[in-house]
Amino acid sequence: MEAHQWMIHYTRQTEWIDRRGIFLWIAFYAGGLGGGLYLVSLYFNSLWGMLISWLIIAVIKGGTHLVYLGKPLRFWRIITRPQTSWLARGFIFVMLFVFFGAIQMALTYWLPGSTAEIVFKVMAGIMAFSVALYTGIILKNIKGVPFWNSTLLPVLFIFCGLLGGFGLAVVIALNGGDINLAAAETGSRWLLLANVLLIGIYLWQASAKENTSKQSVLEQLRGHSAPIFWIGIVLLGIVIPLGIALAGLIMNHMSSIVLVTGVACEIIGGLALRYVVLKAGAYKPLVAKPQ
Amino acid sequence: MRWGMVVDLSKCVRCYACLAACRIEHFLPMGINWPRLVALETGGDSPTVSTYSVRCNQCKDAPCVEVCPTGATTRREDGVVTVDQDKCVGCRYCVVACPYQNRTFLSKDKDQGFFPGRVVTDFEKAGKKLYKHQIGTTEKCNFCAERIDAGLAKGLKPGIDREATPACVNTCPARALTFGDLDDPNSEVSRLIREKKGFQLHPEYNTDPSVYFIDGKIGQSDEPKVDDKADKEPEAIGVGE
Ligand code: SF4
Ligand code: SF4
Repeated sequence: MEAHQWMIHYTRQTEWIDRRGIFLWIAFYAGGLGGGLYLVSLYFNSLWGMLISWLIIAVIKGGTHLVYLGKPLRFWRIITRPQTSWLARGFIFVMLFVFFGAIQMALTYWLPGSTAEIVFKVMAGIMAFSVALYTGIILKNIKGVPFWNSTLLPVLFIFCGLLGGFGLAVVIALNGGDINLAAAETGSRWLLLANVLLIGIYLWQASAKENTSKQSVLEQLRGHSAPIFWIGIVLLGIVIPLGIALAGLIMNHMSSIVLVTGVACEIIGGLALRYVVLKAGAYKPLVAKPQ
Repeated sequence: MRWGMVVDLSKCVRCYACLAACRIEHFLPMGINWPRLVALETGGDSPTVSTYSVRCNQCKDAPCVEVCPTGATTRREDGVVTVDQDKCVGCRYCVVACPYQNRTFLSKDKDQGFFPGRVVTDFEKAGKKLYKHQIGTTEKCNFCAERIDAGLAKGLKPGIDREATPACVNTCPARALTFGDLDDPNSEVSRLIREKKGFQLHPEYNTDPSVYFIDGKIGQSDEPKVDDKADKEPEAIGVGE
């Protein structure tokens, strides 16, 4: 880009995806995946699923987000100010989930069926949902990036997290875990369809909204992010898992290797979705170009 | 009282003195600028270059203040939006939320010294003592709040007395920058905005910037812009590099 063109064109945000921004991308995805898996695990009452989701949120989500901060040792300033912003609330959701989830798993293991177990399941479930949701709200609230500024974004992130959750539930079931394989597969298929629909609506409404968000959509469809969009989201995240789901329906049986491949593709698709959403977020030119 | 600035686009001569003055005033690391110059060509066959001297707009409804989870970014009573680097956790939410892209996260590579690995100049040594910049936190223009405060304490008037006025305004050789109280209808800034139809950047964000522009042909709110043409097919984003 020529020096004189600086900021008179659409400029994409870089802070939350380039260089160390990669940590934030992983944190955002891990929040969705962990939250989604916990909710799916509650549905199946799977202790294995709960443990894995707890690890994903506590270690990957919490860890990468902390590493991303310029001054991680000051993170306590964030968690003591829930009134300030959704970023603060998000950190609190993560901490509360880790706390409630740990107690809930202990209760499920030693005191299954107790009232306390149910109470903690509800509380950890609410926190897991909030962890999966808040990253979408953070982006939605940024009015300078019109592509993100949509109520559909948190919904998309939740559904994407649930899809990943059902995918991991399939893997747990295949490994002899406490989950019904057929039910997990069915859930996975429905969530996949819902995600395809949501992604389509999201891109359509973003391109219809105004020029800057249309730019963001074009950036994904034919700009620098296009390979990640077409290969990561469309091929790996949608076409291959859909093909496997359809084949499973027709043949009534699928080998474990194929199913695990499908789940891996779904997870790569989810990562790619978060990546292009962050990468393609663009600002309006600072000063409008003359005609 | 609400401090504000008026940038006269017809007077700016693109000398970059405002950037230099700010660097000296705040001992800015080499990798960052608080004010910036945006230059653009206009006029098709016989193009002329127009320049915008931009800096943090000290927005009245500042998105950066709204999103800061630590209370590091606040708006003072006089309208200046400041960052307390001792409180900033470096989450960069404010950097992303500023629709004018006026904030910079100070990473290590942006503060490698003027002559990396060779010599630390006396100017840099003085800066480390007088104006600390913390790596891992966020920075932006603060309308030289330290000059305003020190000047007011001495009974001086920002915008009129040089000692109490932002460094870039003092330095501008073309007198393109004017500083003063937006709440005072008799101040020079209020008069310029009133008489010369001062306009703010992107008023549609409802941020109510305290920096106004006058006498510019581009971007005036009553002029058609490329962005307004719904039928124009936009190009893919140039990815900014
Ligand atoms: S211009 Fe940006 S950094 Fe300055 S007050 Fe407004 S939102 Fe905050
Ligand atoms: S980077 Fe610092 S000033 Fe900006 S929002 Fe985060 S804590 Fe606040």
